[in-house]
Amino acid sequence: MFEKLITESTGKSPWLFHINAGSCNGCDIELVAVLTPRYDAERLGFKLAGSPRQADIVVVTGPVTKQSLPRVLRAISQVPEPRCIVTMGSCPQSGNVFRGSYSIAGPLSKYVHVDVDVAGCAPKPEAVIDGLALATKILMEKRGQKK
Amino acid sequence: MMQHYPILAIMTYFLGAFLIVIFGKNRTVRNAVGFLATAVPLCLLITLVKPVMMGGDIIAYWMGGRVPAGGYAIGIALEVDALSLFFGLLVATAVFAAMLYSFSYMSHDDNEPQYYTLFLMLCGGVMGLVLSGDLFNMFIMVEILTFAAVALTAFRNSVFGALEAAFKYLVVGSIGSSCILAGTIMLYAQAHTLNFAQLSAMIPGNLNLATTVAYALLFIGFCTKAFLVPFHPLAADAHGAAPAPVSVLISGVLTKSGLYGIIRLTYILFRTMNLGTVQFWLVFLGSVSMFVCVTMALAQHDFKRLLAFHSISQIGYVLTAAGLATALGVSAGLYHAMNHTLFKGLLFLCAGAVLHETGTTDLDKLGGLSKKMPHTTVLFLVGAFSISGIPPFNGFASKWLIYQAAYQKGVESGNIGFLLVTICCLVTSTLTLASFVKVTQSVFFGQLPKEYENVREVSFGMRLAMGLLALLCIVTGLFPGLVTTFLTEPAARAVFGANHYINAMMGAGYAESFGLADMLPVSFYSAGVWSPISWLCLLMIMLLAVAIVAVSSKYDQVSALAKTAAAAEAAAVAGPRYGSGSPAEGKYELFFGGEESVYSQVGGDDMFWGFKHNWRHYFSFMHNLHSGIVNDYALWAVIALALAMLYAMIIL
Amino acid sequence: MTIVMDGLRYLAYILIFPGFLFCFLTGMLLCGIDRKLVARMQKRIGPPILQPFYDFFKLLGKETIVPAAANRTVFLLAPLVGLAAQVVLQLFIPVFHFNAFRGVADVIVILYLLLIPALSVILGAASSGSPYAGVGLSREMVTVLSVELPLVLVLLAVAKTVGNALGTGLCFSLTDIVNYQIANGSLLTRLSMLPAAAAMLLIIPGETGSHPFDAAEAETEICEGMLAEYSGAPLAVYKLSHAVKLLTMTSLFVALFLGGIGGGVMTLLSGLSPAAAGAIGLVLEILILFLLCVVLVAVCVSLLHAVTARLRIEQLFKYYWTVVTGLAAVSVVLAWYGL
Repeated sequence: MFEKLITESTGKSPWLFHINAGSCNGCDIELVAVLTPRYDAERLGFKLAGSPRQADIVVVTGPVTKQSLPRVLRAISQVPEPRCIVTMGSCPQSGNVFRGSYSIAGPLSKYVHVDVDVAGCAPKPEAVIDGLALATKILMEKRGQKK
Repeated sequence: MMQHYPILAIMTYFLGAFLIVIFGKNRTVRNAVGFLATAVPLCLLITLVKPVMMGGDIIAYWMGGRVPAGGYAIGIALEVDALSLFFGLLVATAVFAAMLYSFSYMSHDDNEPQYYTLFLMLCGGVMGLVLSGDLFNMFIMVEILTFAAVALTAFRNSVFGALEAAFKYLVVGSIGSSCILAGTIMLYAQAHTLNFAQLSAMIPGNLNLATTVAYALLFIGFCTKAFLVPFHPLAADAHGAAPAPVSVLISGVLTKSGLYGIIRLTYILFRTMNLGTVQFWLVFLGSVSMFVCVTMALAQHDFKRLLAFHSISQIGYVLTAAGLATALGVSAGLYHAMNHTLFKGLLFLCAGAVLHETGTTDLDKLGGLSKKMPHTTVLFLVGAFSISGIPPFNGFASKWLIYQAAYQKGVESGNIGFLLVTICCLVTSTLTLASFVKVTQSVFFGQLPKEYENVREVSFGMRLAMGLLALLCIVTGLFPGLVTTFLTEPAARAVFGANHYINAMMGAGYAESFGLADMLPVSFYSAGVWSPISWLCLLMIMLLAVAIVAVSSKYDQVSALAKTAAAAEAAAVAGPRYGSGSPAEGKYELFFGGEESVYSQVGGDDMFWGFKHNWRHYFSFMHNLHSGIVNDYALWAVIALALAMLYAMIIL
Repeated sequence: MTIVMDGLRYLAYILIFPGFLFCFLTGMLLCGIDRKLVARMQKRIGPPILQPFYDFFKLLGKETIVPAAANRTVFLLAPLVGLAAQVVLQLFIPVFHFNAFRGVADVIVILYLLLIPALSVILGAASSGSPYAGVGLSREMVTVLSVELPLVLVLLAVAKTVGNALGTGLCFSLTDIVNYQIANGSLLTRLSMLPAAAAMLLIIPGETGSHPFDAAEAETEICEGMLAEYSGAPLAVYKLSHAVKLLTMTSLFVALFLGGIGGGVMTLLSGLSPAAAGAIGLVLEILILFLLCVVLVAVCVSLLHAVTARLRIEQLFKYYWTVVTGLAAVSVVLAWYGL
């Protein structure tokens, strides 16, 4: 029942869960900027969820420190399917300036399948929205495969 | 034949008690005697429902055949009108369920025969009290039940505080019993008779200082039996220490005997007293008990003590409703008294089940038992919903009638005080809900502590007793019309029909020879509408519809996608794993902000911080007031007695 | 034959109007309008008005995770019971002239039926075993406690006012309250009822748990509180009951204080034949009810959401038991002395 409706809706109501994996707080602020009146991602249905159980898209910022790794993985695993993982900023993709540090376990793609990378240090809100829109499309595809 | 049933009902309990003393060594014999001794009176009383409740008969039994001669009742009488029978039925039902429960609950205790003996003595005492038609006989029964209850409170004397609780109960209970004796003597000196019917014919014409003070004495005496404020600390201690079935008896049965005494006294013996002021006295005391005890309950962190305070709070409802002096009010109060016996019995048995399996009733230590004891949880929820007045359970049906009665009384009398009473009732009900949410979360839901991993469901016998009470809770909630028509309204009519009562005992025309007329036109009209069956049907249809939609949209199905996605992910990510590696791990753990889930129970004592913070001065005042010292409580009793006597003198 | 027809008619009441389908559509729409309004008040474009529908259907398609620590049965059953009870409650609130089920529940019963959905969320949260849910349910219960006292006073004030006017002294039937207003004008036009109406306006956001009274669901401090462990379809059901609750509370306000508007509708249609007037009247009344609900949501939910910050739970309790209770108490006392 409602199969088509559900797939349609999946694209229109992606809820975000934000994980800070040792970020310098730059990207975190930019992510919040996306939701402010100027960019207003809520017009596309984006919403910050309080708990991973309710999220569709997990946004990871920061270079994934060794301390944060098990926590990041646990939180990601608690997000119900279908889900999308978006890395935000250069840190979770490459380690950025922290690369090579003894305390860094990243990049994140070593541990989970990452769907979208939004590069930049920090990425502009426009880029973030673009990345999230892409993630939404992937989400719809994942949902569409389900049958 | 029918007239012998009341005495048989009382005697069966006592006979059972003596038989168990003699033959009680053998478990089978003991249980058989216990079962019969509680089942037989129940059956006897149920057969009386038809003539007494529906036919309006009053069954009089004169011991030794000494019927009244020359207008004086010399012999000892049992008289069963609808009011007595109503309370008798409550007693018999609760006792029966408690007995069923005791068989397995008490099987690990020493001195089992003594337990059953005391148990049946207590039952016989209460049954004798409510069926008696003689004031002195009533006093004797009060003594029997008080001492049996004291002994049962201390029955598990290895439990911390059991002896202390029993001692407190003994001291204050004795003050109460002495009050009853003193009141009885004063009435005897005035009226030269102890028979209820004759007293209620003679007293209304002879109200003087002595009789009103006697009223105050008897009233305070019965208040101690019902544990009304200021006698409430006793109940908490006694319930905390006593075995669960005994708590059922003390809360469901013994307090009812106090209520019965108060209602009988106020509406039949002293029915021409200045009703407005007596009404104020009853309603005030009831509302104070209701509110003080529910707030005390919110602050408790022991399951059974919490229930004990709620028990008094509910008794407060009954007294408030009965004090309204309207037919609807009395009927609603009696309805609530019945419901209280059922749901409080059920809740105490659930607390007993928890204690039996885990060895504690401390709300701060328990948690998550719903997975280990699912049946107990469901039964507890039925009881908790009933006591909190959630529709369609029975607590709601009676509380709803009480609100109607209180507000209607206020509108009729134009007294804004009754508005406050209505609001107090409604708020108390919500506070009750709050404290049962606390118990639900702290004991049955939340997380299971490690040491209770091996807890099992209680035995079938215990569940049967709880199930019986739960079933009655649901039935009496769903069919309020039947309950009011066949049980509470006849009883309320009996309350307002003293002449019929007098004439049935003393011969036709006796009441009229004293120039007495019946009090009020009896009307059970209420402004509200509530039809639980229709509501339940609607809910069921709606639930069915919602469930069909839910199931067809794969509610509660781990999607196939989840599995394939997990497999695909595992294959796609080839890199080395770190720590607890695989993302699938921890999926079904609780969310702890990403941390590993650890034992962390939210519950117990301080759950409603937001509420208690605003009432902190009140709570600290109450905390200081309840010192736990028996001298203080005895002092309260004396002060209450003095106030009651003073009030009685003023209103005369 | 008539029995079958009656059965079908009642089934239609339950499932379509004013039951499930109506609740679903209007409740979700109200929610969407609320979100749009808040966004506009904050100079944002805001989500489409149909956003709650998208959210709902998306959640239906998500995986449902039941935590290992949870009591599975209660966890999954609680949302369904809550929704059913919420929708059934809506059946008892008259839409001006139209009342599908009179004689089942009066105002006091409705007060208690309002507790059942709240209780089902609480039980569901408790059964999940999450400490966030534990904190959330503790706060939710305190919120319920806070709101209950003023709500009782509001209902008693209305019952007394209408009762005085009808000569019975008190009137608990919602149908009679609405009919009285249809005949004699809305209660909101009485000075003595204004404080009660103001109190009711403040009760609506408290009951529905919206800003600034959303301590129980504070997503930024306790991770959605009671719903922390809910995902997928059960969460969708909770969102739906929340939306229906918005409809229930606002239409309860309309029934209590604005029932007189139904009288105006009928005078407009006085030229038509009775059957046509009945049908058109019903449609008009539903539209008017919906519009009034939207206005109420705009005033007491969206506006408050946009201009206030969240209260701590003990501030919330204090606010309700002093300010809002005070307002309602003024009305009760005035009504009591027949003003």
